[in-house]
Amino acid sequence: MKKLYYDPKKCTACKTCEIVCAIGHSPSQDLYTAILEENVALPRVRVSVGKEGNFPLACRHCKDHPCVNACIASALTYDKEEGLLFDKEKCVGCWMCIMACPYGAVRHDSRNNKSQRCDLCADIHDPRCAKNCPTKAIVYREEKT
Amino acid sequence: MKHLLIIGNSAAGISCAENVRKKDKEIKITILSKEDYTGYNRCLISYYLAGDIKEDRLVYRAKDFYKDNNIELLLNKKAVRIDAKKNQVVLEDKSRLDYDILLLSNGASPKFPQDIKGIQKKGVFGFRTISDAKEMLDLALVSQTACILGGGLIGLKAAYGLKKRNLDVKVIVKSSQVLSQILDKESSEMCKRRLVEHGIDIMTGADVQEIIGNGDCKAVKLDSGKVIASSIVVVGKGVKPNTELIEDSAIKLAEGILVDEYMKTNIPNIYAAGDIAQAYDPILEETTVNALWPNAIEQGMVVASSILGENKKYGGSVGMNSVEFFGLPVISFGITRAPQDGYEEIVSRDVPQNIYKKVILKNNVIKGAIFASRIENIGILLKLAKLKIDVSTIKDTLLKADFNFSVTKDLQYEKEEFYL
Repeated sequence: MKKLYYDPKKCTACKTCEIVCAIGHSPSQDLYTAILEENVALPRVRVSVGKEGNFPLACRHCKDHPCVNACIASALTYDKEEGLLFDKEKCVGCWMCIMACPYGAVRHDSRNNKSQRCDLCADIHDPRCAKNCPTKAIVYREEKT
Repeated sequence: MKHLLIIGNSAAGISCAENVRKKDKEIKITILSKEDYTGYNRCLISYYLAGDIKEDRLVYRAKDFYKDNNIELLLNKKAVRIDAKKNQVVLEDKSRLDYDILLLSNGASPKFPQDIKGIQKKGVFGFRTISDAKEMLDLALVSQTACILGGGLIGLKAAYGLKKRNLDVKVIVKSSQVLSQILDKESSEMCKRRLVEHGIDIMTGADVQEIIGNGDCKAVKLDSGKVIASSIVVVGKGVKPNTELIEDSAIKLAEGILVDEYMKTNIPNIYAAGDIAQAYDPILEETTVNALWPNAIEQGMVVASSILGENKKYGGSVGMNSVEFFGLPVISFGITRAPQDGYEEIVSRDVPQNIYKKVILKNNVIKGAIFASRIENIGILLKLAKLKIDVSTIKDTLLKADFNFSVTKDLQYEKEEFYL
């Protein structure tokens, strides 16, 4: 499957990825409407600023997916082609996935008691973070083997 | 055709069956359950009790799952003995089932301390099954007060559920703290405060002597002599692996059934997984029972891999818990109270924000952690602990607000390389 890869040297931490991610996952999918929405959408990708570059990170859709194993509510499943699938309705906010994720890629959204993670923009099958990265620091490509 | 017989229809058993079937379409698989339900999300019963979810959400694997995977599910059948010499399991009705490979994944049961007089009365629950939750819900309609015995996770989850059903809830805890098995004093106090603020009465330093009533539970009598009228009592005094059925067999047993890194018992064609199994714990560096859903799922997968001949080694299970009471989330794993010598504690707190974080190390290896309120990224620490990675170079950053995965980039351990 295709996954997201990041080049810390190209990343300027402009956080365009975070903004397009949040907008893309908001009900309106429009910046000026999204910022006024109740429970403003959170970005699933986050950029950490470091001395040796900047590091974007989102869910890795791992093959061995410890979060799926830890989910007590059957909200998480894994598909070889599509990666991690999250049924938000089933999530009870137990945070077992946060406990299990070795990358710290799951977000804790206490406002609606649901966990949040990157879905690779499943609605358009084209992750917005990679598509909109001005320096091409985020690349969406076939998994490295 | 080989026959894989699985005793227990929950996380470990189902995970094993599912993963064996993915790669072996031939083997005959039978799952035996003493309960009356297809696989359900056992950990969700407290959410069901609280009214946070409806019953349909408890379904983990519906009937179709067993049909689609060609798994025979035998419900309401209790195994009482293993005849390992004949490769047979003896059921309560004296009938016998043959097997070639046996998985013991029949879980654990709540402990009911027999020194509490009247503990067998109706209205006293262990809070483990759907049936427990349903009976409690029926009783809750006609009850005013519920007493919870013990301040552990199960007891407090029951307390939360019953409080949300508008009962007066009293938690009776022998020690001075709640959740003392999984949290330290400070985080335990935070949880206690939150529960008390939401109307749950926590009575520490008290113990129950007797459950009073004529058949049905009507009240509990404390060691102080005080009597509390209560028609629901939940006993949250821990669980015990269901090992009765192997007690007169040659299968090696400590607290749970002892297994090796392939989840195999000392008998070559018998495996154990889930709440009944005593497996290696990489943090404690000894075998222990870590009776938790995620561990059961993983152990079931390891058994499947062994049965399929892939022989994947199990890295072991760790004690880990995630709880949230009335908007206060807390995650902890491993050792949360440092034993005296040789351990180092790093603590970070932001009292106004109600944030508390602690990590415990030994020789620069993470041995445990607690994150309260701000819980993100604790999984990174858990991974480092499981793999016993020396974190001396990043130790000072572990509890910082901006700690994240990239901080670990120079540490050598098994992880995906996604930075170009």
